[in-house]
Amino acid sequence: MTAVANVLETNPLREGLDQERIPDPSVLVIFGASGDLTRRKLIPSLYSLASDGLLPSGQAIVGFGKTEFPDQDFRIAMREACDRFARRRPTEDAIWNNFAQGLFYVQGDFTKPDDYVRLKERLAGIDQQRGTAGRRIYYYAVPPQFFPAISQSLGKEGMVTDPEAGGPFTRVIIEKPFGRDLATAKELNRVAVMTFRERQVFRIDHYLGKETVQNLLVLRFANGIFEPFWNRQYIDHVQVTVAESIGVEGRGGYFESSGIVRDIIQNHALQLVSLIAMEPPVAFEADSVRDEKVKVLKALREFPLDNLADTAIRGQYGAGSIMGDPVIGYQAEDSVDPASRTETFAALKMYIDNWRWAGVPFLIRAGKRLPKRVTDISIQFRPAPYPLFRKVSRVTTHPNVLAIRIQPDEGISLKFDSKVPGPTVKTHPVTMEFRYATSFGAEPPEAYERLLLDTMIGDSTLFARRDEVETAWAWLDPLLRRWETSADQPFSYEAGTWGPGEADQLLVPDGRAWRRL
Amino acid sequence: MTDLDRIRQGEDLPVDFASIEKSLSEMWRNENDGSADAVTRAALWNVIAHTNNDGDRNTATETLGRASATVPQRSIVIRSALDGPAELNSWISANCHIFSGKRQVCSEEISIVAGGHRVRDVPSLVNGLLIPELPVATWWIGDLPSQQEEYVQALLAPADRLIVDSVHFDAADDLRLLSGVAAGTQTIPADLNWIRMEEWRLATASVFDHPVMRGQLPHIRKVRVVYAGEGGLFGEQIEAFYYAAWLSGQSRHVMGEGEEDVQYRFDRAGGKQTGSLLQVEIELKGGGRIEIGMNDEGNAILATPSMIDLSQPTVTSYNQRPPSALIVRQLSARQEDPVFHRALASASTIASSRSK
Repeated sequence: MTAVANVLETNPLREGLDQERIPDPSVLVIFGASGDLTRRKLIPSLYSLASDGLLPSGQAIVGFGKTEFPDQDFRIAMREACDRFARRRPTEDAIWNNFAQGLFYVQGDFTKPDDYVRLKERLAGIDQQRGTAGRRIYYYAVPPQFFPAISQSLGKEGMVTDPEAGGPFTRVIIEKPFGRDLATAKELNRVAVMTFRERQVFRIDHYLGKETVQNLLVLRFANGIFEPFWNRQYIDHVQVTVAESIGVEGRGGYFESSGIVRDIIQNHALQLVSLIAMEPPVAFEADSVRDEKVKVLKALREFPLDNLADTAIRGQYGAGSIMGDPVIGYQAEDSVDPASRTETFAALKMYIDNWRWAGVPFLIRAGKRLPKRVTDISIQFRPAPYPLFRKVSRVTTHPNVLAIRIQPDEGISLKFDSKVPGPTVKTHPVTMEFRYATSFGAEPPEAYERLLLDTMIGDSTLFARRDEVETAWAWLDPLLRRWETSADQPFSYEAGTWGPGEADQLLVPDGRAWRRL
Repeated sequence: MTDLDRIRQGEDLPVDFASIEKSLSEMWRNENDGSADAVTRAALWNVIAHTNNDGDRNTATETLGRASATVPQRSIVIRSALDGPAELNSWISANCHIFSGKRQVCSEEISIVAGGHRVRDVPSLVNGLLIPELPVATWWIGDLPSQQEEYVQALLAPADRLIVDSVHFDAADDLRLLSGVAAGTQTIPADLNWIRMEEWRLATASVFDHPVMRGQLPHIRKVRVVYAGEGGLFGEQIEAFYYAAWLSGQSRHVMGEGEEDVQYRFDRAGGKQTGSLLQVEIELKGGGRIEIGMNDEGNAILATPSMIDLSQPTVTSYNQRPPSALIVRQLSARQEDPVFHRALASASTIASSRSK
């Protein structure tokens, strides 16, 4: 918010335009520029920002990677990427030609200090050419094992500056995974803060860039009607589902060392839980919001390790079919151990031990090769306190459900019972619906667009903070260790189903069931 | 075939004006009788389009039909002819669009044709047809009326927003009337001509984003605005007036001939789109100069400052938007635009001074 105010102070011509938030021009250096993320997400998102008039003139983007690429070849490859993946398609020549003038490539090895000397010289030249005045954003689109080498080299070559020390800004964007457990997360953070200050570090979880996720805060805190009911008095339980229909898609090697808990629950699912459960922040600014999210994570009840089956179920998909197409089982995937015990599905029953949520179960399930791709949060309310209609034979009451669809077909619906018209009392559940597509029409921006722009502006509200990441790992570590050291196999489930039957059984003792999605 | 099936295929269904709402309800009720082909009836706005002839009525119908794909709405299209034969007739139809590849969302459209003394019955009929709790936009097509004051006031009474297209205005008084709506009523005025200028505002703003250019706004000395026109219609100048009013207001400088004042010049040139901006030249104290104009392909606005050594001009994407897109843009903004509010008052003053 402060950043926006500053922009308006310096350029009043921006007032009232959609493009109110324009950052100062900087050089965005992408480490790992020859990778898939750069081609599919980063450059197409940056182009779409340029097309929407949201990038400052002079903005430069430098790809750094092992592959040999003259600038012109890099531009051609990135144009092809935009033609395929950008939200703004077809690519417009006038916009592209201008955007491409700011695209550069430096060939180098992340581990060779000499290559950073060359990079530094090139960046200095670009500063002269583009007017970027030493402002830097480094994007680590590389596996975490390269983070220390890159950070140390940048620090050693004096490529990290800070306005508080009188220099231009430097920011660094780190992609998940933020470690694979608490110890590795702490080590990554320790290395990062040797070179950068915490406020310079932007840990990207692209879920937080989704419009629907941002709308959780608006839904809760911009409307008066929900907050009075948003507590244990009125809410029976909360369900969070992050379902993917795809398998490991050629990333078997990565997934073997990860599993669904590290890949989805530690970051995306816990971000959703934090936003649903957090207290109102004192202000809509980065640290106020993140302070409240961390409090939720700190209040998560520890797993009862001697009785895990009552709170955590893991599964692994076998062969089956998705939308009518037969698919192989996980253990038959490329680069996967045929005897793998890696979980591709997890269902957790968790509790937040604080005043607001005491006793309210938060039920999370995430998995691969489930019937459809869907991310959904369901708030199920308690039944009416007195069953007025229980003596009427045709009346069956249903719980009220506030369902927030994160993707696809983004929207919010509220289910409640209504009387069926007629002389007798009969009820039927009906749904009030809000859908982004019907209410706002326009396609929402890609999550990366919002997050890249926020980094350029310096707004870290939608990024994970160090203590957030470490607290999440601290909660999950005991569960993951127990599963890793246990001889038990994950429960098997057929691809194309909603996970193993044991996940359903997790809810049965409480008289609850997973919502059908 | 149900009524809804017929109107989904483009038919208008004549209905008695006294039972429009009932006919709509029956149509939707029949549709929900066990049909597997689910249709969602949606509305975010009540949009009243007021026209004076059949040509404009057809334009309004077509424009709102397209706009409803993005902003579902209950459209009420009126064709009123005070000089015509006494009549009051109505039709219902629906604008249906597919969302997310499967969900069919329909917006209702009601057409009212009134003539002679029956015209005075239109405001009360329209009031009864508004969906409660939804905002009301009145789109007045053509010149703003300076007569039939009672009728106009009755039609505008429920309007949260009055949408006009000032390119069709024939006198400076029209801008003054619009400005009067802003000052004297709860209705928020909006102008499609202002929306057309958005890319020019963005292109101009982008020049002043650069750190070197910050602080240069107070040093503007001369501004030349070139617009497309043939000299036949007053409204063709209004976008240029808006530009000047906006730049002056946001930069907080004074227009005039004084030593420290900023001089504005408006020039007409040939162009395809009457009333649209073609070029802007800004001169700064000390000799700096900014040129803003369309590229050869007409799909981007290039802004080139002479005083900073950047290899490229700033480039702003430009697409000539159809009327439906301009309407959508207006309806997407739920609140008053204070920048337009200020520019309107100032543009009205410019228009008055130039028409003397």
